[in-house]
Amino acid sequence: MSDPRHPANLIRHRKLEVDTWQRFEPTEARALPPQDGNWLVPLSVWQSAQAQLRERTQPVGVLLAPDDDPSELAEDGRIRPEGLALIAVDFPIYTDGRGYSIAYLLRTRLGWTGELRAVGDVMIDTVYYQARSGFDSFAVKPGHDPHEALRALGTFTAAYQKSYPVPETAV
Amino acid sequence: MYQYQPIDQLLVDQRVAQFRDQTRRFLNGQLSEDDFRTLRLQNGLYIQRHAPMLRIAIPYGMLASRQLRTLAHIARKWDRGYGHFSTRQNMQFNWPRLEDVPDILAELAKVQMHSIQTSGNDIRNTTTDQFAGVAPDEIVNPLVWCELIRQWSTFHPEFAFLPRKFKIAVSGAVTDRAAVGVHDIGLQAVEQDGEIGFRVWVGGGLGRTPIVGQLINPYVPWQHLLTYLQAILRVYNLHGRRDNKFKARIKILVKELTPQVFGEEVEREWKQIKGGPETLTAEQVQAIADRFTVTPYAADPGPDTSAQHAGNDPRFARWLRRNTHHHKVPGYAAVTLSLKRTGVPPGDITADQMDAVADLADRYSFGEMRVTHEQNVVFADVARSQLHALWKELDKLGLATPNVGLLTNIIACPGGDFCALANAVSIPVAEAIQRRFDDLDYLYEIGELDLNISGCINSCGHHHVGHIGILGVDKAGEEWYQVTLGGRQSGAAKPLPDIESTRGGGAAIGRVIGPSFAREEVADVVANLVETYLDLRDSDAERFIDVVERVGIDPFKTRVYAERKQAKAVAEAAHV
Repeated sequence: MSDPRHPANLIRHRKLEVDTWQRFEPTEARALPPQDGNWLVPLSVWQSAQAQLRERTQPVGVLLAPDDDPSELAEDGRIRPEGLALIAVDFPIYTDGRGYSIAYLLRTRLGWTGELRAVGDVMIDTVYYQARSGFDSFAVKPGHDPHEALRALGTFTAAYQKSYPVPETAV
Repeated sequence: MYQYQPIDQLLVDQRVAQFRDQTRRFLNGQLSEDDFRTLRLQNGLYIQRHAPMLRIAIPYGMLASRQLRTLAHIARKWDRGYGHFSTRQNMQFNWPRLEDVPDILAELAKVQMHSIQTSGNDIRNTTTDQFAGVAPDEIVNPLVWCELIRQWSTFHPEFAFLPRKFKIAVSGAVTDRAAVGVHDIGLQAVEQDGEIGFRVWVGGGLGRTPIVGQLINPYVPWQHLLTYLQAILRVYNLHGRRDNKFKARIKILVKELTPQVFGEEVEREWKQIKGGPETLTAEQVQAIADRFTVTPYAADPGPDTSAQHAGNDPRFARWLRRNTHHHKVPGYAAVTLSLKRTGVPPGDITADQMDAVADLADRYSFGEMRVTHEQNVVFADVARSQLHALWKELDKLGLATPNVGLLTNIIACPGGDFCALANAVSIPVAEAIQRRFDDLDYLYEIGELDLNISGCINSCGHHHVGHIGILGVDKAGEEWYQVTLGGRQSGAAKPLPDIESTRGGGAAIGRVIGPSFAREEVADVVANLVETYLDLRDSDAERFIDVVERVGIDPFKTRVYAERKQAKAVAEAAHV
């Protein structure tokens, strides 16, 4: 059933789905994404139009870049979940490890219990560490078999570090 | 020696399976070169000049005889019959085939070994004092703390992709033998009101920008060690520079922020996690300590006949003086096996030597040994009554060169003969210097002197902290050698309270004496430096490094360049 133009490369709830989310990359200030569709908006767009965006029938997600400060999403130290579909963290290149700390902070310090997605240079070989750092969905990059990525969540079945969960064996 | 728990074995086995799959995908073309690079580096696999280079972890330098036999087996089966001990207490093989590496890792896993995080921008093998656990001046046994750090840092999910590599050293003794001042984090055990804690130095390191670490916390109680490390690493992971590889080490961040501001950032982060899940309990620490085998020292290790033998045999006397070290248990000594015989690349050991050393370790030192950052091997627990017998065996194997602490005990990286990064060769330079100083009487006359050689600015040969440092540089495609003076890895015999708090462990970075030299000049330059020292010293108690500190580098510099000018004039006159 898989359509090569829309591969099921999104791991979510331990299943593969077609990734219908698009990055909203505004060319002019104050622009907002269309009402239809699933949009990931940059932190700056979210900050400037938060109230309006939270009212959408199809809520947006916020896309954090590696140099974004995740605490800017919070009010009084907590992120309000209303009207925010998910938080995505971009890995422009998989060796940029800031996204792991961002995920840890979102989960343990900023109270984000909603969906947290790794996007960008997300590989079979990174999802295990990403899951332990707090991600629960993964947009696997082209060229990496998403089925193998799903299995890779179970690469290690135990861990030493106590403040990071061990992902359950996926398969 | 630490004995694996089920979780340790499970993780190592699962790592082998993971890397086998990654290698398969790479060889099938399913994993690109770019995607594979960091993954293989996190398993210590480099693509080198002739073949891949595989670096195997020897956690904090501790090695059991059965592990060394496995290394010998690997050297024979998959390499060219020898291995190389690196300055990070690891072993490197220079000739494996990429497709064999998963099998090599599987073989290692059978003896509780691996190559996890021996390269890449992650937390590397934690290093320590080669006399850990047996040194008479020990405050705390650092091995337990090294193992706790090893576990905490292994597959750390948040810190696997740092801006740059990250090295931690732990010293548990009054005298720092772990070079805590030149590591990304240096930990020095201290006692305060009967409780153990750690002084924390940050941002030391060699390489392109050599800096001595800065003290950011004079006392972190042991319970909070891991949360404190976590706080440092998080600040670094989020704020360390990633735009320029040469400015990505934590030392640059510490320098740019200033140590004080960096320390405050760490403090702020630490407050949030202090007392959290990674806080250590006495039970946890004890559980790790209990996994270390207890050395069954003999109540009566026999009469110490070494002085008697030394009286009869000057060769043994020399070795006894240089290559044996004090032990906390009466009747025992620690022994250094020198891998610095002239003509053998520093740190190299053949498979046959490995097997022989493993046998000797079984017979003389409870089956255990340590790899030192000086690229030698230490038998930590030899009965003094057995020293002469052991020496005879080591002498036959060519491992009894009595040069520990002396000029010919050269630290050197593999250099341009093997390493793709090197600008110049190291091994032939080391050999030329060793040949120049082959007279043992003269070598002993010179006394303590650390001479370190790196083939490039990555500084794997630790030239910055050699009393004499030699660095290979590239000038218009030619090999040249820069010479530094006055470096040292620690404050040596100075007691802790005297160490200036801003100068981690008393370490110092050597200073360049002037324009660099051609390869064939290097041994002459060293000879001139040594003669200058002998002329200037007050007595033979004043070591080379002491003279450099007292008079500065100028008298050395003047002599070396004057001699060079004269040598050139003579050479030119000969051609007329």
